[in-house]
Amino acid sequence: MEAMMKKFQQKYRRIRDEMDRWDELQSRLLSQFVNASSIIDRLEVLRDTKNYGILGSVDGIKETLLGKQMEALEMSFCSMKMTMKEFHSIVISFEKIARDGSQLLRGGTISTAQKQLRIGIWPSLTECVDHLQTIHEMHQFEYLLKSSIVSSLSWNCSGIDIGVLRQLLVDQPNISTHEVQSIFDIVFAEEIS
Amino acid sequence: MESPHASSAEKPSPRNANPSSPSPSPSSRLWRPAAQRNIRNQWSKLLSGKDRWFSAASEGRNHATSLVNAYLSCRYMPHMDLGVLKGMPRIREKACEKLTLKQELYCGKLLSSYKDMVAVVSDLVKASKSMRCFIKGSAASSLIQFSDTSGDMSDPGDGGGIPVFTHFSISEFENLVQEIVEMFELELSLKRLIVVELLSINEKEVIGEQIDVSSWQTELYLGEFDNLQMIGLLSEESFLPLPSRLKDRNSNDNFIGRSCHQRSSEILQVYLTTWLADVNIDVNRIAEIFSIIEEEIQVKLS
Repeated sequence: MEAMMKKFQQKYRRIRDEMDRWDELQSRLLSQFVNASSIIDRLEVLRDTKNYGILGSVDGIKETLLGKQMEALEMSFCSMKMTMKEFHSIVISFEKIARDGSQLLRGGTISTAQKQLRIGIWPSLTECVDHLQTIHEMHQFEYLLKSSIVSSLSWNCSGIDIGVLRQLLVDQPNISTHEVQSIFDIVFAEEIS
Repeated sequence: MESPHASSAEKPSPRNANPSSPSPSPSSRLWRPAAQRNIRNQWSKLLSGKDRWFSAASEGRNHATSLVNAYLSCRYMPHMDLGVLKGMPRIREKACEKLTLKQELYCGKLLSSYKDMVAVVSDLVKASKSMRCFIKGSAASSLIQFSDTSGDMSDPGDGGGIPVFTHFSISEFENLVQEIVEMFELELSLKRLIVVELLSINEKEVIGEQIDVSSWQTELYLGEFDNLQMIGLLSEESFLPLPSRLKDRNSNDNFIGRSCHQRSSEILQVYLTTWLADVNIDVNRIAEIFSIIEEEIQVKLS
């Protein structure tokens, strides 16, 4: 049992590392999003010829500037897509860890009663498997949400739309940090004390 | 190190077929290493100049943004909700005085970033004009020396058009450098226009009357026009700055270049965006040119 528990703790450590990477990606995605939305914000002002002041006498300035901004926006979309790919790789890795975890139990000769047994402060092995699955699902749903937010952002979004999308990105509604923390508290209970 | 150069120098070059070019005599064999050294030198100067430009331009943008923010805060001061501070005597006047001082400060900083950019472009132009390698003194003398300034009108400094390394002749190097330099010249001229406009928002507020000090035809600092003339941004006839234009566009015949005395926050935003966008500079093309050059001169410049 103890050996089994150690194996699960190892898996949870990998989860924790991946979640750190998730946080880094989250702040990267946010700054890319803010960058893209500030370009979108400006487009309306740039489309109006009367806003060019002295630059109005430079032939072709409006078209060129708008073109450059659209280019920058396109690049920004591209980099967000790259970040999303990395998010996806984390989801895949969570999925694998959760699958490995449930196979660990299925493969062995441990009885159902043993699987549900709690020894001391340790959670039961079934709980360990379930929590891995919970963490995987949270991140999978959050990934899907982020994907649809990123693809809804376009040059003709209104400022209000952008504000809502940004708030959703910041909130990560599918990931309950409280729940994740309590799972870790249970799995690593011995380390805390 | 010398042997591969020497052996390639002896290979008959297709560019050398021109009968009017000087024979690939000993002097040409000596010319080549000197020219190669010079070309490597100039391109590494170009590369560092390019980097300096981007850092000066980004500093300039920060100062311009701060300047605009201070200006707008000052302008919105009468309508700003100051909360508990409302009761303090002369709070709005004092805040405006402070903001005005800040504007002056950022004007000075913006101007100094602009000066940096002018200096960088001067260096780029200088390097672009120093691609050639001239034989110094008499070719008949036993000691042949080279220089990047022409002493003798009959020597074009291009080694008779032979490839300096493997493919490119001097004039091909010059074409590529010209392409880069043109981008920076045009961008400098456009940014100058923005600097002129931004510097004038401060002056107007202080003086409070509509003097046309903001004219783009006034020197922004002592000696500016000399610098612009060297860069080629000054009209030969009028000794005034050439109207700004974009790459692949002609300059506007009806170029007004006169401040329109409008200071809406939208206009200021367009100025700042234009500054940021570097519309005349194609960074991908620049990177491409530098990688072509690195391959040709067999040196990693960065």
